[in-house]
Amino acid sequence: MNGERSHSRGDRFLPIVAGCYAVLWIVLAIRPVDRGDWFLENLLVFVTIGLLTLTLRRFRFSNFSYALLAVFLALHALGAHYTYAQVPAGFWLRDLLHLERNHFDRVIHFCFGLLLLYPVRDLLTRHVGARPSWVPWLALGSIIAMSSFFEILEAIIAQVVHPDLGAAYLGTQGDIWDAQKDMVAAVFGAIIATVLTTGRRGRVKGRD
Amino acid sequence: MRDRFVSAFPFRLRVTDIEHSTSDESFLRVNPQRKLVLGLVTGCAVAWFIAAVHPVDRQAWMLENLLLIVFGAILSLTYRRLKFSSTSHVFIALFVLLHIVGAHYTYTQMPLGLWAKDYFGLSRNHYDRVAHGSFGLLLALPLRELLLRFGGVRGAWGYLFPPALILAASGLFEILESIVAESVAPGKGVNWLGGQGDEWDAQNDMLAAFVGAVIMMSIVALTDRKKRGDEW
Repeated sequence: MNGERSHSRGDRFLPIVAGCYAVLWIVLAIRPVDRGDWFLENLLVFVTIGLLTLTLRRFRFSNFSYALLAVFLALHALGAHYTYAQVPAGFWLRDLLHLERNHFDRVIHFCFGLLLLYPVRDLLTRHVGARPSWVPWLALGSIIAMSSFFEILEAIIAQVVHPDLGAAYLGTQGDIWDAQKDMVAAVFGAIIATVLTTGRRGRVKGRD
Repeated sequence: MRDRFVSAFPFRLRVTDIEHSTSDESFLRVNPQRKLVLGLVTGCAVAWFIAAVHPVDRQAWMLENLLLIVFGAILSLTYRRLKFSSTSHVFIALFVLLHIVGAHYTYTQMPLGLWAKDYFGLSRNHYDRVAHGSFGLLLALPLRELLLRFGGVRGAWGYLFPPALILAASGLFEILESIVAESVAPGKGVNWLGGQGDEWDAQNDMLAAFVGAVIMMSIVALTDRKKRGDEW
């Protein structure tokens, strides 16, 4: 899939991004606020990194996609360190805007849609073979699907790990529509990313 | 002829038999599905009119039917272009029937579900969950046909994307439902939606749809392997 021309450049870019992320991940793995929660949050990271590594030979994302993935995973590593509900930046945002809770988790859900839409489009265009006119819709659908899947997974984990605590464990912080709002945040992020990437569709395809 | 495109927002659809569908009469004569689809539409229409008489809750019935009207309108407007298989037509009709019955009983009062609740000692009337599961089970196949025929999706992706998009649609439905609930009955939360005390109602509904779609894709994968090259 990857053009031979940019191969040498891509070869250097990916290790640098992966190295930066690894350093950050290790620093944030030291004394997290709650080790059990940190481990749970990182399960999906292990799966994601594992999948990316295993499929590296069969499919390479563009450098821009890897950069976006790394930024998202870095933000998630930060959230996992502070169990999301206690991220300092979230407290700062809460005080600044006079919010009733730490909204860092919702910001990350938004970032999930915003940052991962482009890699998904990348995959759809160059690997799945989807028609160009279908790609934005399939990408948007995939993001919503992954967000929904995550909410289901979260609910199952919460019931398995802490059946008595239920929703409290998820950091819903007393919000009955937490799952729906998380998904809405991801949808908004994905829509914004769609608008941003549609304008430069030509560059997306010609990139590698 | 295979490479002709007709633009239909939001997708571009390939029309293979455009000549056949230009004239009403020839289309109806040529299309062997005509009787089947006509029968299914008649069946659904009769069921809808019967269910429209004295529903348990008129307001809930109207809300439930808003989506049905949109769904029905899209299906009838795109009928010729999409050319679903006969199996898909039957599946779509079955799902519409389940929804018509559910809307009549506001889902929570569906007699069969109430019976199952008593008989198996369940915590709630699970008819709504059955309908969510059927959404995935019955609509995954039509979705797969669209993705393969018009979306250009190939190989294993053709089995992955239907469950994914079913899950996405289910997620969007849960979002829509929560917005409706919050604007019509603020503060009453999940129970107004027929959650019946289920803390994880939204997640369970989405899971039911996803599992239904995965089951259907497994069936399709198995049958496709048997008669490869055949049309669905």
